[in-house]
Amino acid sequence: MRIPYVTTEYNNRVMTTDESETRRRARPRTRRRFLTAAGTAGAVALAGCSAERTGDGGDGGDGAGSDGNETDGGGDTDGGGDGGDGETPTLTVATYSSFIDAPSVSPGEWLKEEFESRFDAELEWATPDNEVNYYVERAASGAGVDADVYVGLTTEDLVRVDEELDEDLFAEAGDIEGGDAVKEGLRFDPFDRAVPFDTGYVSLVYDSTTAEAPETFDGLLDDEHAGALIAQNPGASSTGRAFLLHTINRFGDGGVASDGDGEAIEGADGDPDYDYLDYWADLQENDVRVLGSWDDAYAAWSEGEAPMVVSYSTDQVFANMEGADLDEHQIRFLNDQAYANPEGMAVFADADEPELARQFMSFMLEPDVQGEIAQRNVAFPATGDAELPSDYAELAQEPADPVTFTYDELRGSADAWVEAWERQFAGN
Amino acid sequence: MGSERAPGGDGRGDTAGDADGADAPIAVELDGVSKRYGETAAVDDVSLRVREGEFFTLVGPSGCGKTTTLRLIAGFEESTSGTVRFGGESMAGVPPEDRDVGVVFQSYALFPHMTVGENVAYGLNFADPPEGTTRDERVADLLDLVDLPDATDRDPESLSGGQQQRIAMARALAPGPDVLLLDEPMSALDARLRERLRAQVKRIQSELGITTIYVTHDQEEALAVSDRVAVMNGGTPEQVAPPRTVYRRPATRFVAEFVGDNNVFAGGVVDIPEAGELAVDVDGGDETHRVAVGGDEEAEAEEATATQLPDIGDRIAFCVRPEHLRVASADKPAGGETGAPAGENALRATVASAEFLGETTRVTLDWGDRELLVRAVDPLDGAVTVGFDPSDAHVIDVESR
Amino acid sequence: MTDDAGRTGGGDGPLARARTAIETRSLTALAVLTSAALVVAFYYPTATVLIEAVVVDGAVTVSVFAEVLTDPFYFGELARLLSGESPAAVLGSLLSPDRRLGIVGFTAYQAVLSTLASVALGLPAAYLLARFEFPGRRTLRSLTIVPFVLPSIMVAVGFVATFGDNGTLNAALAALGLPPVDLLFTLEAVVIAHAFYNAPLVARVTTAAWESVDASAVETARSLGAGPVRAFVDVVAPQVYPAVLTGAALTFVFTFGTFPIVLALGGFQLATVEVFVYRLVRDLSYAEAAALAIIELVISLGVLLAYLRYEARNSTSTRGARPLPRRPLVPPAPTLRELLPRAGLGVYSVAAGILFVAPIASMILASVTGGDGALTLDHYRFLIERQQTGAAFQVRPWPAIRNSLAFAAAATLLALPMGVVVAVLTTRRYRGRTLVDAAAMAPLAVSGIIVGLGLLRGLVFGVEIAEWRIAASGAVAIVVAHAVSGYPFVVRTVSPGLSGLDRSLVESARALGASRARVIRDVELPLVWPAVVAGAAFAFAISIGEFTSTVVLATGADAYTMPVAIERFIGRRLGPATAMGVVLLVVTGLSFVVIERLGGDHRGL
Repeated sequence: MRIPYVTTEYNNRVMTTDESETRRRARPRTRRRFLTAAGTAGAVALAGCSAERTGDGGDGGDGAGSDGNETDGGGDTDGGGDGGDGETPTLTVATYSSFIDAPSVSPGEWLKEEFESRFDAELEWATPDNEVNYYVERAASGAGVDADVYVGLTTEDLVRVDEELDEDLFAEAGDIEGGDAVKEGLRFDPFDRAVPFDTGYVSLVYDSTTAEAPETFDGLLDDEHAGALIAQNPGASSTGRAFLLHTINRFGDGGVASDGDGEAIEGADGDPDYDYLDYWADLQENDVRVLGSWDDAYAAWSEGEAPMVVSYSTDQVFANMEGADLDEHQIRFLNDQAYANPEGMAVFADADEPELARQFMSFMLEPDVQGEIAQRNVAFPATGDAELPSDYAELAQEPADPVTFTYDELRGSADAWVEAWERQFAGN
Repeated sequence: MGSERAPGGDGRGDTAGDADGADAPIAVELDGVSKRYGETAAVDDVSLRVREGEFFTLVGPSGCGKTTTLRLIAGFEESTSGTVRFGGESMAGVPPEDRDVGVVFQSYALFPHMTVGENVAYGLNFADPPEGTTRDERVADLLDLVDLPDATDRDPESLSGGQQQRIAMARALAPGPDVLLLDEPMSALDARLRERLRAQVKRIQSELGITTIYVTHDQEEALAVSDRVAVMNGGTPEQVAPPRTVYRRPATRFVAEFVGDNNVFAGGVVDIPEAGELAVDVDGGDETHRVAVGGDEEAEAEEATATQLPDIGDRIAFCVRPEHLRVASADKPAGGETGAPAGENALRATVASAEFLGETTRVTLDWGDRELLVRAVDPLDGAVTVGFDPSDAHVIDVESR
Repeated sequence: MTDDAGRTGGGDGPLARARTAIETRSLTALAVLTSAALVVAFYYPTATVLIEAVVVDGAVTVSVFAEVLTDPFYFGELARLLSGESPAAVLGSLLSPDRRLGIVGFTAYQAVLSTLASVALGLPAAYLLARFEFPGRRTLRSLTIVPFVLPSIMVAVGFVATFGDNGTLNAALAALGLPPVDLLFTLEAVVIAHAFYNAPLVARVTTAAWESVDASAVETARSLGAGPVRAFVDVVAPQVYPAVLTGAALTFVFTFGTFPIVLALGGFQLATVEVFVYRLVRDLSYAEAAALAIIELVISLGVLLAYLRYEARNSTSTRGARPLPRRPLVPPAPTLRELLPRAGLGVYSVAAGILFVAPIASMILASVTGGDGALTLDHYRFLIERQQTGAAFQVRPWPAIRNSLAFAAAATLLALPMGVVVAVLTTRRYRGRTLVDAAAMAPLAVSGIIVGLGLLRGLVFGVEIAEWRIAASGAVAIVVAHAVSGYPFVVRTVSPGLSGLDRSLVESARALGASRARVIRDVELPLVWPAVVAGAAFAFAISIGEFTSTVVLATGADAYTMPVAIERFIGRRLGPATAMGVVLLVVTGLSFVVIERLGGDHRGL
């Protein structure tokens, strides 16, 4: 029975079987199964997808619309036909983002233009968010390193890379033209991979209009400086870590790391019973603020939350640029010292353009380039013959006694030092 | 006697000759259908056949599985075992939208974000209106059919419950379904409206001749509208028969007590004085009663097919409707239509309470430690005598020695 | 019946048949695509990192876990229990005043406090927005989502400027002759900052629920003799309560995984688990980082699942046809009953002004203040200049704005069907539903740092299959990743409404011939439309505010978004970053007003 359509014809009667059978055949099925686009929104073409052959032969099958910023054109280490003379080679330089893109000044743009004007090459910057860890990850996952040279390595970076990876991520620098000009004290890589290109000093910056900073570490523990210092988390911030390392240099590590591979550090204070953890307990007692990042700390300091902040000894350069009152941006080297953070550059072992990369490194060490880097990165040159304006030293101050840990001292110890500090400071 | 009880197996609940259109093809068939939720069976091995054009009702108390059965037919649930067939075709795996059913729910389920007209027209998105009819005409026809011709642009929520239910009917019918499924459609309405509406549903059903399966817990409603009734209990139909048969000759004690008021007696057969009559010692009384088996033509016809006839020494249960119990004050002389019953079937009881219903009075009597229901015209009080004709007693259960 | 089932309206060609098949299975297809997106942009990447907790140097081990679980530094007194000490002794020390909570315990503790604060500050806002009518109400409601998208450094700047020693609050207190409050670098500051982020979340979900309370239910209660308070307690509260719990559960999960804001406003002594996850990942100590992240995940997911069980048991019908009428803010009569709630709201708006408006105002002020403290437009000029002269490899404001909007729009369009399909699947009852729920909600509960690293490994580096390396990055990958982060909000906002819908509505539509997918489109979604819009707004906000997955998946400066621009523009001077922050604020605010205006017209209930 399938005709309950209301038409007069069918009203008031029950249809017979025959009729209903006839109708069943006569009436086409009317239910339409149509559906609109509702369901198709999920079907997304993976336009950013790429597929590459993993073997080292051939550059097979570029995925549709691969929009990578990696170097194009072959990329064969053994110099396949296409990477050759006819084309301008591309040098991919990896670095941290503020090296090329800071709101005030950064050397990236100048370096790129200058390098490209001097060499028949194109310079491409890469600034992965995880910085050098990105390349450690790439190497560890077998994805291949897609850059030629890294700019901005620290001693700790090298230690970490070497502890994590069995193979070499970086190649030995070899004979870099102009490499001799690098100051001996700055060389931090015992395996001669990283070549320093600038250095900075982590010191105290203070607002002399509200307080006078103490001369020494011990002075920071005075009551008058209670709650007066803002530092940074040594686990995440390089200034924070430098300051922590400076306290270890000063007070010794109390054998914290000797359980590991490292040797105990004796403090410069000469007191074996008082180590950096004791000092930090006292600092914490005196209300030191340890914020997350340099940004947090500097912002809080700028708002006058505390008169002193752990920062760079070049602070006045920026203050001067902004037209700020230099009295509010005074530098204090505790015990006439500051922790030195030399930055290095190194060629990736896996570089597509190792020769060009070395040419770039020697370019970075040229006197005029060194001067520009120092000014634009607001740091100090790594070479003795850098061309700097004579008044640069007035604002960018250097300590009488720079302090730093060597690669060997940090290896096997740095993690333990930071962890011991964390456990003491944040023990809840 | 007892054939409707369908002792299991073949032909359960589907006795030829019950439905009006006995020869009509089978529209909907359930073949050994079960629906289990974990350990419990909501529907337990149900086999039913509904003929084309038939008004078929599933009635039973809540939890008896009637709604689940309907939902299995509609395709909202998949059966655990067994097959649902429409016109002989298995519906296994066929989603509700492809079954050509119209469903009306107790909650009306009108789409609150659409107008009445849009509600009625909704099914026409998936089915064409009859040839020569536009969508709008179809909607208007259906609103006419349910006597709400001017409701097209109304907001469903602005209508009364009864009106909403009629719109729900119109909406269900609009695409021209093969089967109309009604799930307790009147439950939310008041009694008077319910009576009016069920008459209207019945009228529409017979005008359209649409196969209709109706679920209700209201046995009176079931008896009033149905061609056939399936009385369900514990996930199984206990009796499937036309309303009259269900009322007069309930197949089981459950049916006897669920459909209408009833007095159920149990006792032992002490004698078979003549064919078609039993002498029974009723538990709780001290008299022996005479109970007829058969006595009318239908019963006679069935006797031949009855699976079991009581024998002397068997225990039986039988029931007598309140309106078949004759009652009189104990001090009145026996005999006559209104007088106290004579013979073996006389019981002495006392009036416990009375409900005046207009035409009659529903009287509850204390008889021993149990109650009897009777209908009386005159007011009653105190001690009474109750009697019944052997032919008004209906045997519902036989337990052999 | 079925004998003519083959006769469909259209042609009978294979294409038409395929189309029909796809259409009838579109829900299944959508579910498959959703699962695929989750696997590609979440499960696989995350698994590559989390597995390091149990697989060290190629061998399966539980030692890393055991070490973390029994370390009092992380688990406080509980660690002793886990290392086998007698429960009685541990209970004793737990009850003693100098108990150790451990980092995990402390993280949970501050999350609970933050949740309470967020609820306390969110509810009055919901009351105001749901029950009162005043000019700008809808705009205000749209803007409540803005705090949600602000990068933590912006919030830190605003908070220091507002609550610092020399901040607005202390200046105001001094003007009133009151003693200053020393709020910064305390747990209170962290809790308040968390409330700044999450109270609007609580307010939004609660407002939506409050608005769908049916007036007739309240009127029925009133007619039965319940006073307004009683009617609220008996009728309104039970319908609003589940939404409050939704907000509370999400707040707990977010604040449990909090990271930069804790250190910026609290300091390292208040370090949370995520701080250590970050440091460990940075030091490449993946095993311990993954173990900690898994512990975080288990706790967050536990809270979410406990909440989901509650939600499933307490879904209320959402057939509310007529919302409660809003009251004017100006009392119609000066009776106590009219004045009291308005006075309460007055007090609240002062608090909200200090808490929500002042930090944002400070941020705006910072964007127009120069190094010498004078007002200047230099920072905005910097944005224009960077736009005009910035090198290709530098982040420029306009592409960042454009990318943010494009990614957010695309991610929202993707998150909506994903969220709806998961909501539909999880409102059904079946065995293993808890597992599906947990799987669907996991993107909310996994550490963002771990997800970032996972995306790097799983998507950027790709998978090696039969000598082919399949990798994905760039705009599409970013959109998918954002959608995966945002879709749980769509699920959580849409799901209660769907499960509260009268089942017979769906079944009626299906009996009338509509496929399951068609019913969703025609009936269910229109009926829960406000929830869909709310979910869309959240998905949009998540995408706008997302940082980690963007920088990981971006293939260069051309794919960077506003939060990345803000991060890049932070320097010695905060001006440029705050100016970009204000741009983010304005762009986001406008977007939400537009989204909710567009969505609001379709209000179904």
